[in-house]
Amino acid sequence: MNWRRINRAVHRDAGYFCAALTIVYAISGIAVNHTADWNPNYRIEREEKRFAPIPVASREEMVAALVERLELPGPPKSSFRSAPHLVDLFYDGWSVKADAQKGTATIERPRDRAVLRDFNFLHLNHPKGLWTWFADGYAILLALLAISGLFILRGRNGITGRGLWITAAGLLVPLVFVVLLRYV
Amino acid sequence: MKKALSLTFVIAMLAVGVTASATTYGKAPGAGEPVKLSELLASPDKYVGKTVKVEGIITDVCAKRGCWMAIAGDKEFQSIRFKVEDGVIVIPMEAKGKKGVAEGTFTKIEMTKEQAIEHAKHVAEEQKKPFDPASVTGPSVMYQINGTGAVID
Repeated sequence: MNWRRINRAVHRDAGYFCAALTIVYAISGIAVNHTADWNPNYRIEREEKRFAPIPVASREEMVAALVERLELPGPPKSSFRSAPHLVDLFYDGWSVKADAQKGTATIERPRDRAVLRDFNFLHLNHPKGLWTWFADGYAILLALLAISGLFILRGRNGITGRGLWITAAGLLVPLVFVVLLRYV
Repeated sequence: MKKALSLTFVIAMLAVGVTASATTYGKAPGAGEPVKLSELLASPDKYVGKTVKVEGIITDVCAKRGCWMAIAGDKEFQSIRFKVEDGVIVIPMEAKGKKGVAEGTFTKIEMTKEQAIEHAKHVAEEQKKPFDPASVTGPSVMYQINGTGAVID
């Protein structure tokens, strides 16, 4: 068995093994790259409501009045005032932010982005522990895939021909970014 | 045999119940008594640079990155930002409204007027609120806890 045959077998099997997680990391990568423009983990539903203003009183009294005026399902699990007229009510998985003076409230319901939050959970290594080791192994396999991929083909399209130019282009792009953005 | 299995099941369920009651993020806070937030904010210079532990209701969480949470104090109208290193600890939005115990280094952040405007603008963007730069009138000082870990109910 020559080394090219072994290289092909390694590339093929590592490719099969890495396929699923590569797709997970690729999708999550795009999602978290754009965190400035959107929330990659939650879709937050916000509902604006108006009510007849409530005079400033004790927190308990104001919470009870808000529950009634906003027709909330019952007393909240907890509550907080950041100022005498600004009341937050916390329920299981959702919350209400009310301005008692203005008579305005925002009901906020964060919902998990289906699948994407799980992808981000893995990609950003939130599980830590054992997952860190698995992810390290996956990264090593990716490097192996890249290196073995360079030597799959021989001849004109191989690494000594066209392959060399395409590989160089792939190296040049990140290099230009680093030089321009860090050293110029 | 049946009895042994039932007992194992009960013990397993109890263990799940115990571990499911609170979640630790990062390093578990030490065993010492928490400092009252009112005390921290009344004499902040006494605590700057020191490790402090606070407890209270979590009133807000960074929705995008889970990189900070606000913890309410023992007195009304007081809260403090508990900032964690991006990606190292991630606080989920589900923490909002729950009770938490958090530990970290009490830090003073002095901002020039320009920095204060940038900070207030960023906070307003996060909370999707309109921002008026004129609302920032000069340099400001902010205190936060640079967190090492928290336990959330």
